[in-house]
Amino acid sequence: MNRPVLFIGTAIAAALIAVLFVGLGNDPQQIRSPMIGRPAPAFALKEVGTGQTLDLQALRDTPTIINFWATWCMPCYQEHPVLIDNARLFGSKVQFVGVVFNDDEASIQKFLRERGSAFPTLLDQQGKTAIAYGVGGVPETFFLDRQGIIVAKFSGPMTTDVLQANLEKAIR
Amino acid sequence: MPFAIGTWLACAAFFSFLIAGPANPFLTIANPPPDGPGPNPLLQNHLLMIIHPPMLYLGYVGMTIPFGFACAALLRGRLGHSFLRPLRASLLLPWIFLTVAIMLGGWWAYEVLGWGGYWAWDPVENASLLPWLTATAALHSAIVLERRGVLKGWTVTLVQATFLLTILGTFMTRSGVFNSVHSFTQSSIGPTILAFLAAALLFSVVLLALRIDSLESDGRIESAASREGMFLVNNLLFLILTFTVLIGTVFPLVAEAINGKQMSVGRPYFDAMVVPIGTALLFLIGVGPALPWGRGTREEILRATLPPLATGVVVAAIGYAVGVRNGWTIVTLLFGGYAAHVTLKEMWLPVARSGTSALRRGRRRFGSYVVHAGAVVVLIAIAVSSTTRTSREVRFSRGDSASIGAYTVTFLGAEDRAEPHRQSTIARFAVTKNGRAVTTLAPRMNQYATMREPIGTPDVHSTLAGDLYLSILNVDVAQQRVALHLIVTPMVMWIWIAALVMGLGGLLALIPVRRTSVILTQSAAKGKDLEMADSFGMTS
Repeated sequence: MNRPVLFIGTAIAAALIAVLFVGLGNDPQQIRSPMIGRPAPAFALKEVGTGQTLDLQALRDTPTIINFWATWCMPCYQEHPVLIDNARLFGSKVQFVGVVFNDDEASIQKFLRERGSAFPTLLDQQGKTAIAYGVGGVPETFFLDRQGIIVAKFSGPMTTDVLQANLEKAIR
Repeated sequence: MPFAIGTWLACAAFFSFLIAGPANPFLTIANPPPDGPGPNPLLQNHLLMIIHPPMLYLGYVGMTIPFGFACAALLRGRLGHSFLRPLRASLLLPWIFLTVAIMLGGWWAYEVLGWGGYWAWDPVENASLLPWLTATAALHSAIVLERRGVLKGWTVTLVQATFLLTILGTFMTRSGVFNSVHSFTQSSIGPTILAFLAAALLFSVVLLALRIDSLESDGRIESAASREGMFLVNNLLFLILTFTVLIGTVFPLVAEAINGKQMSVGRPYFDAMVVPIGTALLFLIGVGPALPWGRGTREEILRATLPPLATGVVVAAIGYAVGVRNGWTIVTLLFGGYAAHVTLKEMWLPVARSGTSALRRGRRRFGSYVVHAGAVVVLIAIAVSSTTRTSREVRFSRGDSASIGAYTVTFLGAEDRAEPHRQSTIARFAVTKNGRAVTTLAPRMNQYATMREPIGTPDVHSTLAGDLYLSILNVDVAQQRVALHLIVTPMVMWIWIAALVMGLGGLLALIPVRRTSVILTQSAAKGKDLEMADSFGMTS
């Protein structure tokens, strides 16, 4: 038995396996947003269809999900039923808000007519709100707690599991 | 042989289990969409994507065979010539695949990703490089083993490390733990591959600890200033390079585990660490073959090592004269010229002595010097292309022109094109060089139905002297405006050509030489031309 080979080999192997094992739970694609832990930027945008203005301030005291999307975004088609199902499931306990940017109202109305709607959809005409939230692409979803603090962010289309896991942080 | 077959079957059993269970490709999904998303758009738009993955796969999977031989040598407690030949040949073949695959991957990244580079130290790129480094070291130490009967334990350790690094590379690609351009898919097989890696590591370490002392050396290294001494330094440098790349690759995981912060180790670390080691290896490509085996006299050593220095100085001076100012690049040209002189001399000498029949008899040796020649050109081309490129970003309206280097680029207009799977906006540019029309380039922006962001596809005008590379930053068809990234990079094409030459050299060294030729070679080797048999192929 060559003890130096055994000890050095085992040390290198154990260190490597330990590092890789710890890394197994991480998803490096999900980069933490600097917005997390900060108050959500205020906005007051017109609702598609009704034309009424919705102010984020008015949603205080209710956990809120802000979903940025667009009709030209294919993953948003995939995500839409998940949002509708969960909005119906949580009812008044959680406020869902859709923010559409870089899009036109006619396309949005057609999309909602064909695929259904269960929560207000706002039009971010010049994309200012998306910029304020640091949106890099659509879909992107922010989870706000009762105090209006952003507690989680998810990039890409959500599944129900992902949505509810993030929502838990907002309801806590 | 039973030990080797047992090792291969154990590996085959694991991967059969993987494909039958955790990674079963025939499982149906719960709610299949009417039309699936298709492959990642980046994988859809270049011919090289058809060749690069299978080549890399052959390189990776092929490393199982020498691993089996190495384990068998340890279990038997013997590593003689009968075992060394198949070990070396089975290592050389996947090494050729890996060499060509790494080059093809770089070429694809260059042609598709739009940033004008070919190597980004991406974790999965590094995963392909790591086993290549240890396999290259093993091929060299096998030569010393053959000639001097030393480094037996060291050679099998390198072969084992090569196999283990291919499994680590598989984990890096498929686990989703590393942030990489290769994160094309998500799967849950990470823990299973990690378990196999842990088991293979444990098996290898215990086997080495138990049996390495049974592989006794038949000789010893007499002098550091000898060819075998240089082989040893070469091996140490390859090992340091392997650890450098490995540490840089896994460090983000270590940092996140310790302080919870996400970070990435980028080009500055890798460049600072790898450039000096790579330059030293280039020096050894020159000095190693120039030195005699065993203990040479001072005069012999000086006579062999000094004349090529003049070629090195000339090449470095030419580089300086044409505008190279980066210190490391000048040193690379100096060592590259030196190594080229030694390599060409070693290729030419047998032909000068005994005509072209020497090429047939000494194919192994000749092939290995072809590999060296390719490696010298690759290293010079990498140094020159990465330190002398020029780039600029320009906004064009239709009819506008801009110059970069000797090229002038004129924007002819942009148009939309609809295809079933994507919408493309194509911008056309007329290219002139020193006033003469040379080509029209058409970089494009593609919006795939399944992607969140549009993807650019650059267009490249390649010549042996250098490339003109156009990549769209932003395009507006209605206004006929485009923002364009223009890059001129010298010598890029030499990287692809020289890497292919390396693969070709490996093939030459691999093709068996007829026995009658071997006998002739061996009788020659007993005389003056001792180095005839040295190289890293097989002779049976």
